[in-house]
Amino acid sequence: MRKIIGAFLAIALVAGVAVVAHGPGPAGAQGGGTIEASVTYAGAPVVEKLKVNKDTEKCGTEAVVEKVVVGGNKGLANAVVSVPGAKGGAAKAVKGTVDQHGCKFVPHVTAMTPGELDLKNSDDILHNIHTYSTANPSINKAQPKFKKVMTEKFEKPEMIKLTCDVHSWMLGWVAVLPNQFFGVTDANGVTKIDNVPPGKYTVEVWHETLGKQTKDVEVKAGQAAKVAFEMKK
Amino acid sequence: MSIPLGGIGVLVALWLFAGAAPANAQAGDATAGKAVYERKCLECHGEKGDGKGPAAELLAPQPRDFTAGLYKIRTTANKVPTDQDLFRIITDGMPGTSMPSWAVLPERDRWNLVAYIKSFAADKFKEAPKKVELPKEVASSAESIKRGKEMFEAIECHKCHGTEGRADGPSRSELKDEWGHPIPPANLTKRWTFRGGAGRTDIATRLANGVLGTPMPAFLDSVEKPEDIWHLTNFILSLGPESPHYATLISVTATTDAIPDDPNADLWKKLTPSNVPLMGQVIIDPRNFNPAIDMVAVRAMYNDKEIAFHLTWDDPTQSSADAAKKLAADGIALQFPPQITAGPERPYFLMGDGSDAVYLLRWENNKGVMEATANGPTKIAPIQGGEATAKVVFANGQYRLVIKRPLVSKDASRPTFTPAVFMPVAFQAWDGGAGEGGTKMSLTSWYYLRLEEPQSTRRFVIPPVVAILTLAVMLLVVRVANRRA
Repeated sequence: MRKIIGAFLAIALVAGVAVVAHGPGPAGAQGGGTIEASVTYAGAPVVEKLKVNKDTEKCGTEAVVEKVVVGGNKGLANAVVSVPGAKGGAAKAVKGTVDQHGCKFVPHVTAMTPGELDLKNSDDILHNIHTYSTANPSINKAQPKFKKVMTEKFEKPEMIKLTCDVHSWMLGWVAVLPNQFFGVTDANGVTKIDNVPPGKYTVEVWHETLGKQTKDVEVKAGQAAKVAFEMKK
Repeated sequence: MSIPLGGIGVLVALWLFAGAAPANAQAGDATAGKAVYERKCLECHGEKGDGKGPAAELLAPQPRDFTAGLYKIRTTANKVPTDQDLFRIITDGMPGTSMPSWAVLPERDRWNLVAYIKSFAADKFKEAPKKVELPKEVASSAESIKRGKEMFEAIECHKCHGTEGRADGPSRSELKDEWGHPIPPANLTKRWTFRGGAGRTDIATRLANGVLGTPMPAFLDSVEKPEDIWHLTNFILSLGPESPHYATLISVTATTDAIPDDPNADLWKKLTPSNVPLMGQVIIDPRNFNPAIDMVAVRAMYNDKEIAFHLTWDDPTQSSADAAKKLAADGIALQFPPQITAGPERPYFLMGDGSDAVYLLRWENNKGVMEATANGPTKIAPIQGGEATAKVVFANGQYRLVIKRPLVSKDASRPTFTPAVFMPVAFQAWDGGAGEGGTKMSLTSWYYLRLEEPQSTRRFVIPPVVAILTLAVMLLVVRVANRRA
C-alpha cells in the first residue's frame, strides 16, 4: 500500500513539475526554434531472425532483431538526436515508457530525461528487465505476468541497454538525456525537436550499432534549423 | 627444561590475541592479503584480479573477475556485497564450481584477502552495502509448499529451471552471464550444488535479490505477496534431498517376481537408490574438465533368471548422435570385470587396458544397449550374441533406464552374477548435448556390487518351533516342580 501511495506521489510530483515547468513554457516556446534532423545510412539493414522455441503464442514463431533499420530514402530509424548543451527555456521532465509486447521492447528506443521509466508487460508471460549500464545502477528484476507495470529510476544521462534473459533476442535501449531537447528518428530517419531556445549548439546523434556523430547548428527563434547526418559503419 | 617467564608472557599474550580475534572481525590488511592472494588465488583469478589466471581456461564457470566488482552471492539489496559476504565465499567456497573452501587459511588471512580483493575495484566499494530485508520467515508446511508451487508456476521459474527443477527449461541454451559466457540455470533438485549455499536463508536471499552478473533476476518486488519468497523457498527445498548421501556399496535386491521392464514401474520406486558421484575423465585426451553428469542413482534387482539395473540421471536435453553437428548420443555404461576372480586384482578402471579387458553394458540414446568388451576407452568391441535388453524413459530433464541381462553368462567374455559375492562395478556417462562423447565423459572408479542372498522361508518356521519347544520345556519344569512340592 505504501508503495502504491509512493508511486502516486511520485507520479503526482512529476506531473506537478511538468505542469509547473509548462507554466512559463509557452513564453519560452514563442521565442524558441525547431531543429529538423534527418539521419541516413547508405549501408544495408541488419536484421537477425531467430526461431522461437517457447511462448510462441505471444512471441510468434520467428523473432526479428532489428539492429539497423533503414527506411525510405536511406532514412535510419531508431537514432537518437539530442542537443545536450541546450540551455535556457524551461526544463521539462519527460518520463519514459517501454512496453514488452510480442516479446519485443516497444519502442525499440525510448528517450527520456533523468527520472522514472515505466516498464509495462502486456504479454501475460514472464519477462525479466536486465539493464546494462555504468552510470546508473544496472538492474535485473523479474516481471511476471501479473506485474503489469514496474517503475525504475535512472538518474544519470546514459544509453542503457535493455535485455530479457528469458527471451534472449529481446533488445531495447533507453536513452537518458540531460534535457528535453531530443527526438528519436522515425521509419524515414526524421525527427523534429521543438521549442529549442535560440543559440548555437552541437547536435548529437547516436545509434546503437553505428555510434555517434555531432554537428553544429544555429537555432533562431521561430525558424526551423535543418541538420542532416549520414551514419557510417 | 623450563620456559622462561617472559616466554610464558608472550604465550599468554598470543593466546589472548587469538582468543580476542572475533569471528566478525572486519578490517583486513590489503597488503598482507596480496601476499596470500599471490600464493593461493592467482592461478585462477589472475595477477590483476581479472579472472584470467593460467588455469582459467579450464574452468567453467570462469573464475570471478574482481576488477568488475560484481559478485554473485550477496546479502545486500544493492550491488555492493558486505565484507562478510566475501569472507563467507572464501571460507565456504562455491559448491558446484572450482572455487574450494579456504577454511584452511587462518581467519586473519581470509579477512586480509577480502581487503585485497576489494582493492581491485575500489570505486565499486565506495557505496555502502545495504542489507536486503527479507520478509518474515514462513516455516515449511504442506500448505506453504503448495503455495510455493503455485508461485513457481505463476512467475515461470520453469522457463530456465524446468518444470521439475532440473535446469532443463526452454531458455536454458540462451542464458549468458555478464561476460557473455553460457551459464546454466541451477538444478533445483540438487541443492548441494547451489553456489550460495543450501540453507533456507541462502535460498530466500537468492530469490529476493537475484544472482548478480547472471540471468537470475531479483524477485523481491515481483511476487504477489512478500512472504511468497518463503513459500517458494519451501517449495524448492521440497524438490530434492538435502544431500546426495553417496553410496559406498550397491546392493542388488533379490526377488521372486518378474522384474518390470518399465523404468516407471512401482516395484522400482520401492527400492532406495544408491547415488554414485561421477567425475570428469581427465587422464586421456581429449579430457573432460567440466563434466555434465555428476551423479547416477542406481537401483538393481535379480531373480533366478535375470539381473536388472535401473539407472536415473539428469540431462537437460535428450540428444541422439548427430554427425552434422558433430554431436555424440547421450549414453551410459556399467562396467564389470569379465570374470570374477578371488583377490584384489581388477582391470584398469578406465575401461581396461591391453592386457586386461572389461565387460560393458553400454546404452546409447536411440540405439539401445549392447554388451561389449573394452581394452581402453577407444577400443570397444561388441560381443556377438548380446542378450541384454533396455527400456528408457526421458522426461523433464531426467533419464530413467532399465537394463536387463541373464544372470548366468554364456561365455568367458562376460561375468556370471552370483549372490553374496562382492563384484567390482564402475560407471561411465555421456551428455551428447553438452558435447561429450568418446573420452569426453564422466566416470567413476571401481565400486562394489553385491547380490543380496535370497531370504529363505526358514525364518518363518524356525522361530515358532523354538518358541513351542521353549514353552514345552517351561511347562515341564513347572510340572516337575509342582510334583515335588
